[in-house]
Amino acid sequence: MAKKPQSKKQDDHIHPFARKFLWLGDEKIIRGFIWVPIIGLIITVMAGFIFPHDPKHAAPWDIWRVGFTWDSFPSWALIGFCAYSFVVLSAEPLFRLLSRKENYYGEEEVPEVIIEPTAEVHHHD
Amino acid sequence: MIDLIFKNPEVLADMFFSNPGFIIIFAGFLCAFLPRNEARKFLVGAAPIAAAFLVWRAAGDMDGARRAIEAGGNEFVLMRIDRLSMIWGYVFCLAGVLNAIYALHEKCRITDSSALIYMGAAVAGVFAGDFLTLFIFWELAALSSVFLVWKGGENAFPAGVRYLAIHILSGVLLLAGAVIYARSKEWDFTFGEAGEYGFLSLQDPGAVLLMIAMGIKCGFPFLHNWIQDAYPKASVTGTVILSAFTTKLALYALARTFAGEDILIYIGAIMTCFPVFFAVIENDLRRVLSYSLNNQLGFMVCGIGLGTELAMNGVAAHLAADVIFKGLLFMSMGAVLMRVGTAKASELGGLFRSMPYTTIFCLIGAGSIAAFPLLSAFVTKSMIIASAMNQHEYIVMGMLLFASAGVMEHSGIKVPYFAFFSHDSGKRVKEAPWNMLVAMGLASLLCVFFAFPWGGYQFLYSLLPFPENYYAPYTGNHVVTQLQLLFAAMLAFAFLKRMKVYPDERRAEILDFDWTYRRLGKGIAVWIDAMWTRLSANLAIIRKDFFAKAGQRLYHMFSPAGTFSVGAPSGLPTLLTGGMLVLVLIVVYLARL
Amino acid sequence: MGMLEFFPEWLQYHGAALAVVLPLLMGAICAILPSERLAWITTLIVVSICTVTAFGLLLVTFGGESVIYKMGGWDPPKGISYVIDGLNTPVIFLISAMALLTTLYGLPSVVAEVEPKKRAPFYGAFLIGVAGLLGMVVTGDAFNVFVFLEVSSISTYVLVAMGASRDRRALAAAYRYLILGSIGATFFVIGLGFLYMETGTLNMADIGRKLQELEGGSRVAMVAFGFITVGLGLKLAMFPLHMWLPGAYAHAPSFVTVFLASTATKAALYLMLRFSFTVFDVSFDYVLTVVTYLFTGLGCAAMVLGSLQAIFQTDARRTLAYSSVAQVGYMLLGVGMATSLGLTAGYVHLLNHAVIKGALFFALGAFWYRYGITRTEDFAGLGKMMPWTMGAFTLGGLSLIGVPLTAGFISKLQLAEAALQRGWGWAVFVIMATSILAIIYIGRLILTAYFQAPPEIDGEVVKRNEAPLMMLIPMWILVALSITIGVNSDFVVQAGQMAAEVLGGIS
Repeated sequence: MAKKPQSKKQDDHIHPFARKFLWLGDEKIIRGFIWVPIIGLIITVMAGFIFPHDPKHAAPWDIWRVGFTWDSFPSWALIGFCAYSFVVLSAEPLFRLLSRKENYYGEEEVPEVIIEPTAEVHHHD
Repeated sequence: MIDLIFKNPEVLADMFFSNPGFIIIFAGFLCAFLPRNEARKFLVGAAPIAAAFLVWRAAGDMDGARRAIEAGGNEFVLMRIDRLSMIWGYVFCLAGVLNAIYALHEKCRITDSSALIYMGAAVAGVFAGDFLTLFIFWELAALSSVFLVWKGGENAFPAGVRYLAIHILSGVLLLAGAVIYARSKEWDFTFGEAGEYGFLSLQDPGAVLLMIAMGIKCGFPFLHNWIQDAYPKASVTGTVILSAFTTKLALYALARTFAGEDILIYIGAIMTCFPVFFAVIENDLRRVLSYSLNNQLGFMVCGIGLGTELAMNGVAAHLAADVIFKGLLFMSMGAVLMRVGTAKASELGGLFRSMPYTTIFCLIGAGSIAAFPLLSAFVTKSMIIASAMNQHEYIVMGMLLFASAGVMEHSGIKVPYFAFFSHDSGKRVKEAPWNMLVAMGLASLLCVFFAFPWGGYQFLYSLLPFPENYYAPYTGNHVVTQLQLLFAAMLAFAFLKRMKVYPDERRAEILDFDWTYRRLGKGIAVWIDAMWTRLSANLAIIRKDFFAKAGQRLYHMFSPAGTFSVGAPSGLPTLLTGGMLVLVLIVVYLARL
Repeated sequence: MGMLEFFPEWLQYHGAALAVVLPLLMGAICAILPSERLAWITTLIVVSICTVTAFGLLLVTFGGESVIYKMGGWDPPKGISYVIDGLNTPVIFLISAMALLTTLYGLPSVVAEVEPKKRAPFYGAFLIGVAGLLGMVVTGDAFNVFVFLEVSSISTYVLVAMGASRDRRALAAAYRYLILGSIGATFFVIGLGFLYMETGTLNMADIGRKLQELEGGSRVAMVAFGFITVGLGLKLAMFPLHMWLPGAYAHAPSFVTVFLASTATKAALYLMLRFSFTVFDVSFDYVLTVVTYLFTGLGCAAMVLGSLQAIFQTDARRTLAYSSVAQVGYMLLGVGMATSLGLTAGYVHLLNHAVIKGALFFALGAFWYRYGITRTEDFAGLGKMMPWTMGAFTLGGLSLIGVPLTAGFISKLQLAEAALQRGWGWAVFVIMATSILAIIYIGRLILTAYFQAPPEIDGEVVKRNEAPLMMLIPMWILVALSITIGVNSDFVVQAGQMAAEVLGGIS
């Protein structure tokens, strides 16, 4: 938000095709994004009742026998959520354990060549 | 036999056009001497197309396409095609065309030439019918591709040297393994008969060496570091080209040699899981993609280990899909690197405002690798997972599912999110050049086509090693479960982001197993060097003392010429001569006893 | 053998004597010629005749024949005989052909490196050295071997010392070479003395026969064998008796280095083979033990330690010199197997290494000729400054490493095959490990030459200045030969098999 005074000038450099999608950067949209997977998940879990696991092609965790045969258990959703969370949550301790300064190996970090600097941007020619 | 070939132009031409790789290699050498950029670009594009035609021609008559020459008592099978090598050949040619378009803007003789030779070596290696021929192209691929790494600038030079050393080692191991194997078979170097997958088991002589050689090249755990070391440092186009061939050639060799070898199932499963953890903390997005490459290779290695018809189909199909979508992702990150000057997540963000087309293509690539329905990996990866399930390898299957969620993390979300969305970095750059957009567009189309339910995946399946083994990807349950997995992963992302526990990207060097040789090994070498210097200095003093005291006597005793004194430059050698005589006489004496 | 018809009948018989006597006589005349150009032309003519003669002799033995030439018509046990068989003709041809190539190369090189007054005597000494080498290979008389050994050695000391006008250290190197060479020769002649005591004859075939009758002979023969082994080991730079070699190679004139590196040690190795396998025989326990354990052990030590030392040198000539020590190790490893395949491999490597090292030292000489370069760090930018010479060096280097399609690969393949057949898996490992060391010491030079920019002098990049044609031609002949052998090794392998047949070996 500190960049507000510049925003007018910056607009000149926005790709014409991207102008229609600038709402993607909107704070409300970003906060509301969480509803996309929630709704998707609800629909697919419901759909799981229509397309249950095929007992012939199912892993042990797919079908539960709790008094009745629960063959539409959303096991894949559970795996997806847990696996994803585990990976992300393990990032912090791993980073502490494994991260070093960028030129740790002493192979001098020469600034990478910027082939076309941002200053020379022309979209409207 | 060699004479016969060189004396008959028809035979020579026949040999030359037998293996599709040869014309690509030839075009590559031609490129090295072509001063005109347009002419080179024509060759770079035309050679893979011509090679694809040759593959198609050979595939029409698989037995008739076999060519062999005899030299030095060994038979070199220059061309041997079956359904396994056929699909690899097609995929390599396809990748070659896409890479040619992607590199159209670059005026660099070295890149053009080495890219062609490298690609040709990979194609020729796939069609090689004996270990010696395979070895030649195995090494040629390594030698020619290192220039692509070195084109990445000064940073890339040491990485390139390491890359070369590791690949030469892999080649040497391959040769050693092949020699040991062939020796046990009366010097028969045949690299499996046509249509025979998995002709070796790990108990066979030389098999362990062969597996390590192939394992190095396809990034087995602990042997994988060269991928993440070299690929992110190569040039923009170089990385795209590199990602398509080296590891895939090794994968082919592995499939041909060790299909159905149980240990590969577990190696593959581990290979899918461990890069996930590195990818999540790595900052350089091209290195993230290198880990992701490793992870996808894991799926295929696992499939090779399973070795059933369904699994082999899955491996071949996933190879085709992977070359395209991994190429697409590397292309999009290459475009970002070229325009912004860096591919570090911490420096990027919000680029969809200035590179919208690249964003769309990258999202298609990300969706493909994450296996969204209607995108390519959905119809390929599931074959491998399904065959793991059919074989009741539930632990492995669980690992593969875990890795699938991991793929969604690093390639499906992290790469596009940090590059194109996230917080706005304020960087406003030009959209990628038109040729890159065309290449990415074509790759995106292929990603969609390979999974297209009405004719698309059927076409892909018709090229697989076992086309009669029918697999239906679009069953209701498969679509639903896959979507559940992906939506749940996305939900976890959004949820963790909302809870502010999703880690930001920070600039850092992440240690991996290469620490052992880049740091520990180097440290040990430096220490030994220092110790050696000290030791030799001390030894020199001791030697001097030795000469001052006992030396004189010994010297006179053992020198028949005996006219020169201590300190003459020939002192020590002369002493040694005497010592040798004593040694020889002792040996001679003992021999009689 | 259609080509044999070009050689008159008398040449096939008298050729052996001609090849030795002609350079010996002309060497003396050459030394007193007034003009260096005249001396060069004389030398060229003489070595050309020798080469043609040697080629004729080679064809004779390839035809499966062997010739015994009786000096002055005296019958062998009393008189001196010259023997032409499958074992020595390839070496004879190698020596004379290398002499021819170095003479061509010498036209520019000697002018640059030797003082004007000394050039005619230089060629004289060279011819006498050639005569000595040819003599010790061709003769069938053991004492005659010693004579020619001394002839060649003494002229070589002189030749090495001639490097003094370029590099004063050549004097010290020549002195060291002189002392050690004399020790070697003395050991050898002591060994011959013992041998004469045991058998009462000096004809090599005769000694062999007598020893067979005595089933190896008494302790005297054993001591003789010990002395001869060490004496010849010194001449062929068997580790650790190689210490004269690096200095001599590094400081001699380029011309001499090339000739020494590709012929002198090879001729000595030939003698070692001749004495260990035909005069003595591996059927004697003590010979077999020495060959199996000592040759192999020292060979492997040479391969590893020589290569390691080569890596740490700062002078490119020393690098190659230590590499020569290592390569002699390969040959000894092959010989140490004592099987037919092993001997073939060792012999093939003897020939291949002469070709490869010749090409490499030719290139080094050209670098000195144009830019005065000997240190490894000065190689920077040579890929641009002298592309053709550096190209030859690179191809030669690849061959030394043993990259497929080069002569070096053929050698290593043969060696590995022989080792496996003997059941020595570890030897294959040592060969591979030392090949990696070779990659390091050769790769270091090649990388510097191609990937570092040429030096700047007064702000200007040094200009391209290719070696003269007279240097490039012999260099590229050897490089082309190395590649040819790599593509089709039949004739070299055939020569190796021919030699192995003469030597016998264990089955």
